[in-house]
Amino acid sequence: MKTIGLLILRIKEYLILTLFVVISLVLIFNNDNTQIRFLRAFAIGFVGTLQSGVSAVPNVFELQNENKYLREKNIELANEVAALKEAKLENIRLSKLLSLKDKNVLGVISAKIVNKSLVQTRNTITINAGENDSIKINMPVVTDDGLVGKIVGVSKNYSIAQILYNKDLRISAKVQRSRVDGIFTYDGVGSLILTNVPKAADVNPGDLIITSDYSNLFPAGIPLGTVIETGNLDNLFKKITVKPAVNFSILEEVFVVKNLPSREKYELEKIFMNK
Amino acid sequence: MIVSYLKYIAIVILLVAIQKTLIWLIALSNYNISPDLVILMVIYVGIARGHIEGLVIGFVSGLMIDVLSGSFLGLSALCYTITGFIAGYFCVKEREDSYKKYFLVGIVFLCALIANTIYFLIFYQGSPITVQNIFLIYILSTTTYTTLVGSLFILFIKDNKRTAYIG
Repeated sequence: MKTIGLLILRIKEYLILTLFVVISLVLIFNNDNTQIRFLRAFAIGFVGTLQSGVSAVPNVFELQNENKYLREKNIELANEVAALKEAKLENIRLSKLLSLKDKNVLGVISAKIVNKSLVQTRNTITINAGENDSIKINMPVVTDDGLVGKIVGVSKNYSIAQILYNKDLRISAKVQRSRVDGIFTYDGVGSLILTNVPKAADVNPGDLIITSDYSNLFPAGIPLGTVIETGNLDNLFKKITVKPAVNFSILEEVFVVKNLPSREKYELEKIFMNK
Repeated sequence: MIVSYLKYIAIVILLVAIQKTLIWLIALSNYNISPDLVILMVIYVGIARGHIEGLVIGFVSGLMIDVLSGSFLGLSALCYTITGFIAGYFCVKEREDSYKKYFLVGIVFLCALIANTIYFLIFYQGSPITVQNIFLIYILSTTTYTTLVGSLFILFIKDNKRTAYIG
């Protein structure tokens, strides 16, 4: 304490000088005339230069806090980006489905897949639309990419559809380019194939397979898939492997087409076969 | 101590009054250049009594000038405070021998130059006058004129015990 007192006594002239200079400067800067505006501008510039010089020296504690804040913000923003990406993808899917709905003259019922199996020989999907939505057995199920399958079971609010990867589903199909007919089916071991195609038929990899006019269940012209490999099954027929138009592993929404088989056509064909 | 302060302040009031009322009689007409009698008093107090007295009298007299001039409150206070402090460095109390008179004239010139430089550079900020002209027309001429008047006082200082150091 004594030392501090001595120190103050030793520098009292400088302390008084500082006090008077500060009072004078306060008085000066409380004036509002042209000179002071210039002085203030100069003082602000000078202080700003000093501050920018001082700010170049990093404050470790401040940096730690800033780092923590930025990490938290980063996680928050990453979550937000993920949610936005999800929303964007859903938007794209729904937009495509809506455009399909507009194009389809038969009328469609939209539905969300609530369950699906892809690894069995008889694979199905369960959708959240049923009798209450006017869904009936044998109605085709599609997406904007192509055919998914057909309805095989209906409850009040849910339906089950056979998908292309189901051994029980056989579809009358044709090669779009060469109009060659065939039966589109699942071989039960992982591949979709086009059978009953004569060995001499014009089918090449890349050809698009679509539903045929002969089908009593499905409207004609719905894409089924693309030929990826052609070979010989036996002396008479080709073995054609097809990549499906629909990617079943990422399928989430579908449309059920309000198209039922023609009863008259079905009855006529049945009578003729029985004769 | 308070008595001596009051004595100095009384003299300062008198000088300020002269400065504000009669000094125009000896002002150089073209640029209204006049000697600064108050600053001579501040320098005198600084030399005779030291830093603190120089500071106090400088601040008080500067404030008086500012209040009476009514234009730029604080500017004269700042200049005179600094002048009083600088003059305190030449305080005779600390010295064994006395100053020569021409050396005293030099001290007056130096202190007045510093005070006028601060005052006029701030006062003419934002005006179209260049720094060169401010220095030549106002700073140097006012300083010279003030030093001349100060020299007259120095010449007439009597060699008594107190002033022996100064003279």
